[in-house]
Amino acid sequence: MTLINLSGIYKIYNVGGEEVRALDGVDLTINNNEYLAIMGPSGSGKSTMMNMIGCLDSPTSGIYEFEGEKVHIMDDGQLASIRNRKIGFVFQTFNLLPKASALHNVEIPLVYANIRKEKRIEMASEALKSVGLEDRIHHKPNELSGGQRQRVAIARALVNNPSIILADEPTGNLDSKSGHEILAIFDDLHAQGNTIILVTHEDDIAKHAKRTIRLFDGKITEDIKVK
Amino acid sequence: MFSLFFENLKISLSAVFANKMRSILTALGIVIGVLSVTLMGTLISGLDRSFENSMSWLGKDILYISRYEWFGDMEWWEVRNRPRMRPEYVEKIHKRSKYALAVCPVMQRGASLSYEDKETRTEIFGTNEEYMETISTDIEQGRFFTASEDKSGSRVTIIGHGIKEAFFGDENPIGKYIKIDNLKFRVIGVLEKQGKFLGLFSVDKQAVLPLGAFKRIFSKRGWMRLSVKVPEDKISEGIDEISGVMRQIRGLKPSQKNDFAINQTKAFEAQYNTLKVAIGGTGFFITLLSLLVGGIGIMNIMFVTVKERTKEIGVRKAIGATNGMILGQFLMEAVTICLIAGMVGLFIAYISSIFINRIFPSTLPIGLSIFSIVMSMVVGVLSGFIPAYKASKLDPIDSLRYE
Repeated sequence: MTLINLSGIYKIYNVGGEEVRALDGVDLTINNNEYLAIMGPSGSGKSTMMNMIGCLDSPTSGIYEFEGEKVHIMDDGQLASIRNRKIGFVFQTFNLLPKASALHNVEIPLVYANIRKEKRIEMASEALKSVGLEDRIHHKPNELSGGQRQRVAIARALVNNPSIILADEPTGNLDSKSGHEILAIFDDLHAQGNTIILVTHEDDIAKHAKRTIRLFDGKITEDIKVK
Repeated sequence: MFSLFFENLKISLSAVFANKMRSILTALGIVIGVLSVTLMGTLISGLDRSFENSMSWLGKDILYISRYEWFGDMEWWEVRNRPRMRPEYVEKIHKRSKYALAVCPVMQRGASLSYEDKETRTEIFGTNEEYMETISTDIEQGRFFTASEDKSGSRVTIIGHGIKEAFFGDENPIGKYIKIDNLKFRVIGVLEKQGKFLGLFSVDKQAVLPLGAFKRIFSKRGWMRLSVKVPEDKISEGIDEISGVMRQIRGLKPSQKNDFAINQTKAFEAQYNTLKVAIGGTGFFITLLSLLVGGIGIMNIMFVTVKERTKEIGVRKAIGATNGMILGQFLMEAVTICLIAGMVGLFIAYISSIFINRIFPSTLPIGLSIFSIVMSMVVGVLSGFIPAYKASKLDPIDSLRYE
């Protein structure tokens, strides 16, 4: 089943009077339960691509459909809502709130989804358990290791049962052992039926994915599926 | 929506307490603003109460005739050259006026009172038997003197409650002799407790003597005023009539100006209201100024907060916060600071009002307390809005990238 459909996507910036085509006519279809890696050198447009798929950014022109909803015509409020309901972000720098406990960090998307307190705690605990942090739920980020922090971030991304998990260089700030653990979690999540999109520049990491897209100068230059 | 409200409240409180020193400094303006408005209210309430008491002591229906106006702007020499009040006027006013219910001459001087080994300096009043009708105080014990005691120059006196307490304590003073400037007077009555006049001097420490004795012993030509009681519903008619009668007594021609003054508590009221406006105006100005400065402080610190937490805003937006939710969060934070500041200010005002009350009877008005809290919240909303709006409009991608 088609989850995401991008067709003829352009993202054009005007930098100092000069036109920069961050995305230059991208067509892409992503199906349910795909494990996709987006690769490319810096400046290739992969960040813009991720922001576009993550509904953080709107295309200059083109059509973006997410589960049939027309994202390209949405306003800020609708974009926020679709991010909240359908997309789970995992960032390179974890981006946890430093003063909040692991549990509270995971609860936040549910607060914005207006779910009541008891239910939130239940769902957040469950998500933390699924990443193996059930005994760390009251720890603050600075009391956790890098790998544990990233697992909290994954729990936060999972807690709303999103349609896709979008991870931007998720192992970039981790040592290799923690990195492997995190990738193992993604592999598991994929095995459970989740759709995962990894943005990376490392081939080792991209190998975990079942499909790899390479971007160069805002265009898709390669789209390889692994059986 | 409730879960978001509590989430925002939690964020606000943790932000306020995480930056304690900053919050305290920021909130100071609001604290001072609330403090000044509530203390001003307390002061005015106290003044009102004491003024009300003092005015009832003077009596609304009493006209005070003397050489000078209470709040006049006449030259002192002009007043000095006016003829004195004379005791004969009492008879004449009684005869010619139909509004004068009671007329009494009052002479006043300082004197030293003593009983056994106790001594005090106070004011003594010489007057006639109608005096009691022109003051609001009653006789607590004993009686007032009679017209014949006045005429015969009897050395009797009615003492104030304060003198009684100081000299006799629980003893019965009636029939005892006290010395007024070393002359013996028999105590025949005690006036009931009155309190302080305008909070300035105690009217309980007085002694009242018959004018006959007063003049014979102390002075024949002292300063004198007349107190005239008129019907409460006919005060202005009374003033007109008494003024006419006084002109007749003085034999003034129509072209001549009055050479006497008829005073009334109204004069105090006008004066008092001016004072009240001055206090209220000053308090209001200080309040407004400190709220303005406080509000600017809050706005400034909120801009800093938004800047510092740009990344957090980006994360929150990425995981689904709408612009409105971010706006609400930062607005809530500004309001929380102001609300806490307002409550601190109110608390300090409350504590101060307890101490002020000991010196000067007054209360912190409840309405004004509620108003001051609402006012600090309004300042929070007004000063927090622009930074919060700015936060809500931040681009999530740029914010996430912000270091």
